Amino acid sequence: MKIIRWIKVHSVELILATFLLPALITLIIFQLIPTIWTIWFSFTDMALIGKRLIHPRFIGLENYVKLLNDPIFWQSMKVTFEYCLASLVLRFVLGLLAALYLTSKTFKGKTLMAAVFLLPYIIPGVIHPYVWISMLDTRYGTLNRILLLFGLPSQSWVYKRAMESVIMINSWAGYALAMLVLASAITSIPKEYYEVAEIYGASRWQRFTKITLPLIKYPVMLSMILIFKEDIDDFTYVYMFTEGGPHYRTELLSLYAYHKAFAYFELGYGCAVGFVIAILVFILTLAQLKLGGT
Amino acid sequence: MSGDILKRIAEPSLQVVGYVVLAVMFLYILTPLVWMFLTAFNPEGGPFLELPKEFTLDNFVMIFTGEPIKGRAGAAHPFYMTRWIQNSFFIASVALLLVVTMASMAAYSLSRLDFPGKSLLMTFILLIGFMPSMAKILPLFKLCLMFGFVDNLFGVAVVIASSILPTQIWILKGFFDSIPRELEEQAWVCGCGRFTTLMRVVLPVAGPGIAVVALLSFLGAWGSFTIPLILIRSEDLYPISLGIASVFIHNPGEIGLAVDYGPLCALSIVYAIPSLAIYYLTRKYLMQVRLGKMEVR
Repeated sequence: MKIIRWIKVHSVELILATFLLPALITLIIFQLIPTIWTIWFSFTDMALIGKRLIHPRFIGLENYVKLLNDPIFWQSMKVTFEYCLASLVLRFVLGLLAALYLTSKTFKGKTLMAAVFLLPYIIPGVIHPYVWISMLDTRYGTLNRILLLFGLPSQSWVYKRAMESVIMINSWAGYALAMLVLASAITSIPKEYYEVAEIYGASRWQRFTKITLPLIKYPVMLSMILIFKEDIDDFTYVYMFTEGGPHYRTELLSLYAYHKAFAYFELGYGCAVGFVIAILVFILTLAQLKLGGT
Repeated sequence: MSGDILKRIAEPSLQVVGYVVLAVMFLYILTPLVWMFLTAFNPEGGPFLELPKEFTLDNFVMIFTGEPIKGRAGAAHPFYMTRWIQNSFFIASVALLLVVTMASMAAYSLSRLDFPGKSLLMTFILLIGFMPSMAKILPLFKLCLMFGFVDNLFGVAVVIASSILPTQIWILKGFFDSIPRELEEQAWVCGCGRFTTLMRVVLPVAGPGIAVVALLSFLGAWGSFTIPLILIRSEDLYPISLGIASVFIHNPGEIGLAVDYGPLCALSIVYAIPSLAIYYLTRKYLMQVRLGKMEVR
């Protein structure tokens, strides 16, 4: 009886609570369970095909020991570090610059600016590397023409400078993430702060470093964390552009995990690499939060 | 006095420098895109920026009919453009519907309901979304084998929706939080039912939020590459992203070799049009996303 009365009193809340269920169930089945499985699979010799897909053997830390002695793993660690660091700097600086243009009073043409700034972010990621073909071509590419203009030797971007090329494509395609986060943070700063600062004779630079930057500290950190997570995670560009080559010089960790699982069919080993990525994201996020002073 | 003069000189010159930097940024952003646009209409496009001597639609005809253009070798791989477009549209629209429905229900509930452990649940949702996809995408293959979701467009859409869901719940919760509960209570006092209130009061006010979520989930699903790459095996079911890869993928480092640039650019443009269109429809609301709520750590 008591239960029935409780249900009657709280019927509205109960209906609202059921609203949560579809999302939660989907998340648990397709996000949480695979995550737990990744950890579990990484301790087995699971393969993508054959008997070991159905009856994997528990092999303890063997995958991780193999990982530590795997030169290609360390190579891709190094490559991933370079890629993430360079992309982080470029994507953040470009994004901040774009956000400042979008929010400043001095510069006209906000609608045009927003449309142009968002273009690369909106077109699908798969075509980003293709769009860059004309820039990176060795003989007639735009970049080499510019280099020639300044009397510099032209570069073989795709062969010799594959990493730099991928970083350029990535920062071209992805700076808008930081732009969106930072622009919305800057617009929410009350105008009065700047007016008062102007009355007291604060210069433009002072207004930026003393008002804007401290007030967008958390969005800055948030955007950096989001950028880092996206870069360490996404192998679309290297997959489309170089497939990890030449000589594993663009084999990012994420691509390595994919290759191990789907080209060499070592699902367990791939999962170990995937779990390493998760740990890296976790550690660096914590570090960034600590550095941000929270 | 001297400061005044300095200011009078500094301000305009700063503006000039600003516009120059802006112009450089525009060039950086637009040059690759301009090449794509020009080459799509160029009968003999190459991997370099040039104005086409004549204007042609052959490249667009070619990607839809698969007929090789006169005087040139056909693509190494056949085109199934119409089928790819259908597949991509199916995936994107199912994912969009799923995300918008599930995220708005969950976000409304999270915004209006108070229960112990709510902030824990919100953190859980955020963490799930923040888990790198490589740390969960490999077992997805096995999971989807069990569900029969491998080589199944609906399955792909569900998986994509689940990966987009967490952030969208957070964004929408922010929008629902900004609608005062008093507004709803007033509607109830005036004799509106719960459901009518939801439909007539809450949803219209949260409209911008839902538009943004629709935009982001469409973009995510339409451009998705990794999840279809893992879950779709048969070429019949390729979305455009895998289709492009199947036609134009090259050996490592061989970009710029043996690629038919005209059709490639035409295909890219066709692929980008729906994304641009849905951005155009929802652009007004995009800037309204306040990530302020996400600052709660």
